[in-house]
Amino acid sequence: MAKKVPKSSLSAPAGSPAPAAAEVPIANPRLAAFLAWIFPGAGHLYLGDRQRGFSLGGLILLCLILGCRLDGLLIWQTSGSPLMIAGTIGSAGAGLPYFLLHFLLGYQGDPTAAGYEYGASFLLSAGLLNWLLVLDAWDRAWGREHSLVDGQPAERLAEEEP
Amino acid sequence: MNHFLLMSLHATIIAAFFGLLSRRPHPGRWKLFGKILAALLGGGLLVAWLMYFFPSGPPAPIP
Repeated sequence: MAKKVPKSSLSAPAGSPAPAAAEVPIANPRLAAFLAWIFPGAGHLYLGDRQRGFSLGGLILLCLILGCRLDGLLIWQTSGSPLMIAGTIGSAGAGLPYFLLHFLLGYQGDPTAAGYEYGASFLLSAGLLNWLLVLDAWDRAWGREHSLVDGQPAERLAEEEP
Repeated sequence: MNHFLLMSLHATIIAAFFGLLSRRPHPGRWKLFGKILAALLGGGLLVAWLMYFFPSGPPAPIP
């Protein structure tokens, strides 16, 4: 029979790093993530990062505009093929512009257009990139000093640069 | 419609996005941008070249 170990003896051994302190958000993470999703770049603008907000949001909107100009497929399928459902979730990452295109403008894309497949890539990329922006806004609102792209704190990356 | 131009445009937008998202100092961001752009363009050309060995079948029906 296994011997019961008292809880007090389960503490970290001597010399191990101390547990991380509880994170304190610098802004409302839920609001930042919601704003980032509803309109590309809005989350970063809310966090005061105007440069990233405008540039990244602008790139996503450019992707959407190019996709529509090419008459690409705007994926909207909530049942059936799992791949199409995944595509719908990915595309819906673009937030309000995606729903405006689908419901207000009735945009679907033109399967006979030469740019149908390319346009679909642009529209899907816009949604997927905005999901990344949502995650980044969430991290920044928590004051985390790492990015999705770099995977380690900015200071450490600066030290690594020659 | 120029397929390579559209592919390059798509790759440039994706690379610029990740370059801007990065929190590295400026030289590191440009390096990341270049790496992603080269990987996307090089990968695209490589896959396009490999497809020569797999000829396409009849065209897919338009939905």
